[in-house]
Amino acid sequence: MITAANVKKHFGEIAAVNDVTVTIRNGEVFGLIGTNGAGKSTFLRMVSGVLKPDSGTILVDERPVYENPKVKADIFYISDDQYFLPNATPKDMAGFYRDYYVSFDMVRFEDMLGSFQLEPDRKINTFSKGMKKQLSVLLGICANTRYLFCDETFDGLDPVMRQAVKSVFAGELAGRDFTPVIASHNLRELEDICDCVGILHQGGVLMQKDLEEMKLNIHNIQCVFQNTQEEQAALGLLEIVKAERRGTLNIITARGSEREIMGKINSFSPVFAEILPLTLEEIFISETEVVGYDIKKLIF
Amino acid sequence: MTSRNLFFKMVRQDIRRRMWCPVLIAIAYFLCLEVRLLMEIDRYGKEAGRYFYDRGFYDIAVFVREYFFGRDAAMMSIVTCAAAFLCGISGYAYLHSRTQLDTYHSLPVSRKQIFWSRYVSGILQFFLPFVIHMLICAGIAAGRDAFFIETVPVLVSYIVLHLLIFAVSYAVTVSAVVLTGNIIVSILGAAVLLAYSTVVDVLANLLSDRFFDTYIVYGNRTYAGISEKIWCFSPLSMLLKLFSRPNSLTMEEAKEFYKYDASYMWVLAAAAVAYSLAAYFLYLKRATEAAGRPIAFGAAEPVIKTMIVIPVSFLAAVFLGMISPESASGSWFLFGLAFSFVVLCILMEIIFRLDIRGIFMHKKQFLFNAACTALIYIVFRYDVLGYDLYVPADQQLQSCAVSIHDLMPLPQRADVSEFGSHYLGEGEYRMAHMEMQGNPSVMELARKAAKEQLTYRYFDHYEGIETVPEYIETMNRQKYYEPVSFGYKLQNGKTVYRKYIIDIADPETIRLLADIFEDPEYKLGSTPLFDADWDIAFDCVRCENNFKAAKIDLTPEMQAELVETYRKEYMELTLDTVMHKIPVGTIDFRTERDHVSSSYSDEMIVYPQFTGTIALLREYGFDMEEKLTAEDVGSVILRTHASHASEGENDAVEYTDKEQIQQILDSIVSDGLVNPVIRFTDLYDERYDIDVQYNAENGIKYYYRFLRSKLPDFVPAF
Repeated sequence: MITAANVKKHFGEIAAVNDVTVTIRNGEVFGLIGTNGAGKSTFLRMVSGVLKPDSGTILVDERPVYENPKVKADIFYISDDQYFLPNATPKDMAGFYRDYYVSFDMVRFEDMLGSFQLEPDRKINTFSKGMKKQLSVLLGICANTRYLFCDETFDGLDPVMRQAVKSVFAGELAGRDFTPVIASHNLRELEDICDCVGILHQGGVLMQKDLEEMKLNIHNIQCVFQNTQEEQAALGLLEIVKAERRGTLNIITARGSEREIMGKINSFSPVFAEILPLTLEEIFISETEVVGYDIKKLIF
Repeated sequence: MTSRNLFFKMVRQDIRRRMWCPVLIAIAYFLCLEVRLLMEIDRYGKEAGRYFYDRGFYDIAVFVREYFFGRDAAMMSIVTCAAAFLCGISGYAYLHSRTQLDTYHSLPVSRKQIFWSRYVSGILQFFLPFVIHMLICAGIAAGRDAFFIETVPVLVSYIVLHLLIFAVSYAVTVSAVVLTGNIIVSILGAAVLLAYSTVVDVLANLLSDRFFDTYIVYGNRTYAGISEKIWCFSPLSMLLKLFSRPNSLTMEEAKEFYKYDASYMWVLAAAAVAYSLAAYFLYLKRATEAAGRPIAFGAAEPVIKTMIVIPVSFLAAVFLGMISPESASGSWFLFGLAFSFVVLCILMEIIFRLDIRGIFMHKKQFLFNAACTALIYIVFRYDVLGYDLYVPADQQLQSCAVSIHDLMPLPQRADVSEFGSHYLGEGEYRMAHMEMQGNPSVMELARKAAKEQLTYRYFDHYEGIETVPEYIETMNRQKYYEPVSFGYKLQNGKTVYRKYIIDIADPETIRLLADIFEDPEYKLGSTPLFDADWDIAFDCVRCENNFKAAKIDLTPEMQAELVETYRKEYMELTLDTVMHKIPVGTIDFRTERDHVSSSYSDEMIVYPQFTGTIALLREYGFDMEEKLTAEDVGSVILRTHASHASEGENDAVEYTDKEQIQQILDSIVSDGLVNPVIRFTDLYDERYDIDVQYNAENGIKYYYRFLRSKLPDFVPAF
């Protein structure tokens, strides 16, 4: 488990990370979301031991990570602009990481290179941006570390490769103790892979929640009531986050389970009522609006 | 996997990654070692004489041992420093790249291991190719019969020396890279750190020389105006100290063929360790996010700016002062100081901010640096600390050395070993060997000179200046100015040197000077000829009188007798004699080797009252008092300095009339007799150069001067 408590990091006058407190449980996929400059990369660099926090503590499995090679042996960090040795091939890079990560799986690496159609002896500097991202992920997976930190790793991957990487992650999650932390500014990328999400803005964490929990506890409802009195009475029973009316159609975002919400609405015998699934974007817009942020401006 | 294994893997990894670096170093050493050794050996075979003459190498093996694997280390140190610079910059340049830092610092390895693995890798990238080249050189030398068992320790010492030179320069370069955040600033920073103390010391010397009239440097190691008290914290200063040939003020020192100061290698080793540790601790303290910033440590920025802006401003000012006309030199110096200070401040802000708008930042620091610069200028310009007025109190003084410039004996040259002659500056010798005590005139002259503060005044030359009254008056006055150096050996163990200008037209000054010159301590301490420790065996003595020169061979006993006789009479010599009597000749103790003759003592003047010396020389076959007649001379050509300077030799006058020639012969003195004392006597008319054309070769190689009192009537006046 990774716990960050009241972590701060300043670059000169700029507060890159400001009082962040986050807990990342083992075995879950943690998404770190935020705009450019929100502090995602800085946070990941601190968690991976690259940067030293100005204050606060970062513990990985209850041990400090900075200048602690034993802890770092469980971490593989893929930066947003991964470094490859000059003139190196994928094989060279695997050899490089094998020196540092004792459980680096060379056989699997070569297998996965084949699966991803990456040539093992081709110079990496001739690879496309997407191919380099794929290679980084493969190196990270084959290092067999418990934690894999990916900074904007899914940017530049085509949809097919994104799915392939996701399925690799899924396989790892199923097969061993594996905790990926994925930082991105794109909610759609994380929606179908993350178990838990933390949103960063201007260096601070706005919120951190389990995705499923959020999805189960907030719903979009479209409904038409027979008359205004019934409509007002029904809506009065709901914990409404947002409500909109188009003619007689009510479009409502409300907290509560599907059963609970539909029970309350159906008790007024509506003309029409249905529950619609919320996208991650919609959930975050709703949630963050509640805490006073106009998330549309933050993320999109 | 043990961390030791990982360490060696990291070293191997780094060498493999930077393979271009040892390859480049290997090519450079191949050209500078093997290729050059083969060239030198071939040249030695064809032009051995050149080596005999220049360096005194009689054997190719001696040449290889003493020169190629010895003194030549100085030249090779340039290549070694360049290799260190290359390894240091390339090894730690990753600190300037965020992407590389993200990778390396996220790896499960401590920063300590990263630092030291790269450090060791850099050293190996130099050391392995270097040692291989040295072994090949040893093989080449052995193949040419130029390598013997005695060469092995020299070779090992040479390798160790270069390893130390590399280590110091490398550690300093690494420190510079760690201190900075981008490659350009790193290169500039490394260059500054490699030479900083040398530049500051040169600057201190230049400023002292410019502003302090009494400033002079003496010591066993003086080079390029830098004293041996130089702050040696930069590698360049250390190398200058390591390789600068000492003045060798003792016989034992002079006998050595100076390669480098092996004892100084300990200092290099200590400096290498200190700089390496400094680089390491800076590395540990360096924040990862410093990549890309000009300076990694914000707190160091104002210090670095001050350390660069102030000395470089003064250097620019000194340069401008030197190239400007003499009369306006002070104004140009001040302009150069102000201008370069402002430009440098702006430049530093631009470098540190990477933005021209940065020039408006740090106004307080600008003012602080300006105040420091102004303060230093005022201290030097107005001699606030009283440098020129300093004369130690009698109770502070242990002894004093004095060197009267331009008064015999002049600089001397000694053949003391198989490696040829050794030069002795008279000032350095006297300062090291003279210990005058109990002569009140010494300190009286020092105080008088310090109080008078006489200085030479220089004029900008233009046509017609010779007729300007102020110029004439100044030149006439300064004609009698003479520099005298003092070395105050203080009770606290320090030695302080001062050079004063004295006016020898002042009777009181002459009285004091005579007291000093006639002091036996002065005479004995003024030349190694009278020092038993300098037990030189001469091959011959060159004697010269007014009209004849000849070499006479002497047995060791005869030499000893001549030196002793001369010494006794020289000890009786007074300044009054020097100023008012005409010498009869000179003697020059010489050594000869392979048809190359060199003077040890230079010309020592013999006055008429040196009767013992004159008699002894006559006994040995040379008559100091022998005269020539007009019959021995074909003609006399008289030239003036004016004719030399402007109109060539067309206006030279030739005298062939025997009567006129005789009259001239009766009124001239050879330059050889005059030169060692010419500044202290007014007996000779320096306007004329007189060239006597002898009928037979007599060894004389000098022009003559007229005695003022005997200028013949027929000689044209000027």
